[in-house]
Amino acid sequence: MRLIIREDPAAASAYIAKYIIDRIKTFNPTAEHPFVLGLPTGSSPVKIYQILVEKYKASEISFEHVVTFNMDEYIGIPREHPESYHTFMYKHFFSHVNVHPKNIHILNGNAPDLEAECVAYEAAIKAHGGIDLFLGGIGPDGHIAFNEPGSSLASRTRVKTLAYDTILANSRFFGNDLDKVPKMALTVGVQTVLEAREVVIIITGAHKALALQKCIEGGVNHMWTLSSLQLHPHPMIVVDEDATLELQVKTVKYFKSIEAVAASQGFEQILPSSARTGPRKTGHVEPIQTDKHSPSIQSPQPLTSTLLAAPATEYPVRSHTPELVPDRMGSRISAF
Amino acid sequence: MPSAILTARERITKFTNCRLVRGTELVEQDLWVSSGSGKIVRSQEVFYGENIVPDTTIDLGGRIISPGMIDVQLNGAYGFNFSQLPEPGMSYEKSLRQVNKSLVQTGVTSYLPTVTSEQKEVYHHVLPFLGPSKGQRVAEDGAESLGAHVEGPFLNPTKNGIHKVENLITAGDFSDLEDCYGASNINPGEDPLDGSLLPPRIKMITAAPELGSMSKLIPSLTSRGIIFSMGHTEASYEDASLAVSRGCTMITHLFNAMRPLHHRNPGVFGVLGLAESQPRPSFGIIADGIHLHPTSVKIAFNAHPDGFVLVTDAMHLVGLPDGTYDWTNGERITKIGARLVLEADSSKIAGSSIALIGCVNNFLAWSGASIPQALKAVTATPAGMLGLAGVKGSLDNDADADLCIFSEEKGEHGELRLVVDQVWKFGTKVFDRLQ
Repeated sequence: MRLIIREDPAAASAYIAKYIIDRIKTFNPTAEHPFVLGLPTGSSPVKIYQILVEKYKASEISFEHVVTFNMDEYIGIPREHPESYHTFMYKHFFSHVNVHPKNIHILNGNAPDLEAECVAYEAAIKAHGGIDLFLGGIGPDGHIAFNEPGSSLASRTRVKTLAYDTILANSRFFGNDLDKVPKMALTVGVQTVLEAREVVIIITGAHKALALQKCIEGGVNHMWTLSSLQLHPHPMIVVDEDATLELQVKTVKYFKSIEAVAASQGFEQILPSSARTGPRKTGHVEPIQTDKHSPSIQSPQPLTSTLLAAPATEYPVRSHTPELVPDRMGSRISAF
Repeated sequence: MPSAILTARERITKFTNCRLVRGTELVEQDLWVSSGSGKIVRSQEVFYGENIVPDTTIDLGGRIISPGMIDVQLNGAYGFNFSQLPEPGMSYEKSLRQVNKSLVQTGVTSYLPTVTSEQKEVYHHVLPFLGPSKGQRVAEDGAESLGAHVEGPFLNPTKNGIHKVENLITAGDFSDLEDCYGASNINPGEDPLDGSLLPPRIKMITAAPELGSMSKLIPSLTSRGIIFSMGHTEASYEDASLAVSRGCTMITHLFNAMRPLHHRNPGVFGVLGLAESQPRPSFGIIADGIHLHPTSVKIAFNAHPDGFVLVTDAMHLVGLPDGTYDWTNGERITKIGARLVLEADSSKIAGSSIALIGCVNNFLAWSGASIPQALKAVTATPAGMLGLAGVKGSLDNDADADLCIFSEEKGEHGELRLVVDQVWKFGTKVFDRLQ
């Protein structure tokens, strides 16, 4: 776990924006090997999008070969509704940058068969070789996407009923009329997030300090779904000072010192090179490996799918997710 | 001619780094327009729904995009008078087309060609050319007529202005109007191709409501989609209120050619006061610095900002050098700068010769109104008055993509001035100052 602490939300957002840009540049995506980015909505990431847009306009980054998957979307409100996550993403990000609409994936909350929509979404992620970096935020109750307290940590993309608290909180966006607030949403599951090669979370503000404390200092617990990140090989949480209010002084100092020492050694806390770069071989397709690799630092594997394999039987329509292998599925798809 | 044959491949243009005139605000937002449909594109919908990205992106460097300007009272321009029958061998239609192409370069993308008080032969001849250009939607044709404005001849002879008194008549019933303008010009027509109903060629009639049965005829006009505008009138407050209650929604050049505001009889101006359950009409204002004192303009604006429409009332001499020129019926007009007077009587103002953007800039300098407020008076307000809200004078989705791009300059006295940089008609650029 990397915990990066910055003075204020602006500095935390700037850190993440720079990190994402560096990751995409190092990856050097192409049409055949796009960078697959998971994206959130909400107030915390707004500033990050703003910086990404600025950097795009300054020609410092291109999103031409970036494929995006969004975390969630309401069910039953029109796609063009001002509060829909389609609208949010369009307004804050997509309309300003060069992500091609065919590379954008957002769950369709008006799909005739919502269950099929969820299955297709997971399949699309797999078809793109999995998500390289999943950016996320959390709620004050520690929920990631719409995986509210009590959500299965092995959950996948699915229909989710919103908690009454969330509906109440959202009513301010719907003219304070509870009847107009969507009661259900489509959301990626905790497992979907954990299967990304890297997860980056932004948490700012004193009101999220307890959630951060539970997720970092507490154990893995479905009441704080973000705590599942402890099982991920490459998570990073970027926070502002206010969000650390509930942490122990020892914890804060520990993570700050790690970052300081790493920096003084000229050593950023970075991912192993195999996770950082896209496949370098082009035109060559490696045979599909069927044997299981045990995870190592050179070959990061999400552990949770093996640790938490049992609940998958809850979803008989979906086959067991195969283990991620270090090469990209995308490279294999192109062979057909 | 079906437009599908004429248009090349549909091109979507995205404007970015710009400020859009929305209501009385300037909003930083992108705008997508299509040259195919000629409309403003629901960008989010086609982006997600049809995976469409713009063919061209134009960075406007913070400049202002406004809907194209609308002039509801324009008598002619570039030497062409809409009320004048062509000389033998000259084609009215050809000259009109030339005017449209020149006019659009001033930022006026649609207008009401205005015919003054004439003999009925003139109406019968010219009105067939001045009707709305329905279904054509060709950007290269330039400024578009939204229908003719007939200013007269049912005017009060004591408020004739420069209209010839001999031409002024009184209406008894609707057949008098049909006889004067021509039944085919005042009644809805039929499309020869598909048989659908076409709006009348006349879009607006200026008349004095106190004369003859004119007041009673207002509902017959409004039911045909024609705007009744009172002007050149001796109407008392009571006459004017009655006209408004019968459907009059416009006042032609407020203050000019009507009784002045008197505290015991407020006259036509009185209907701009908030009356009991009565809607307030819009009103035209000539802000050329000659027709009205700046303070009068401000008072009118503050009385009813949502009805405030800037018009030029420009004569065909606009755009020509100073001198004395022939006018209809053998009279002559002297042009000195923006000032036009009758040669025979230099105290009579003979319309103006100002461009619409000049009126906007005057209004900005005099009133302290914001830029979007001033532009609203030549876009959304006239469009709404004409029943074209959301089609013209608007940057909302699906509105016609008639646009003006303005940059701001400081005038000689430090006042803010708008300069027309580009004009777009139906999603295609038709003028660029820098090219």
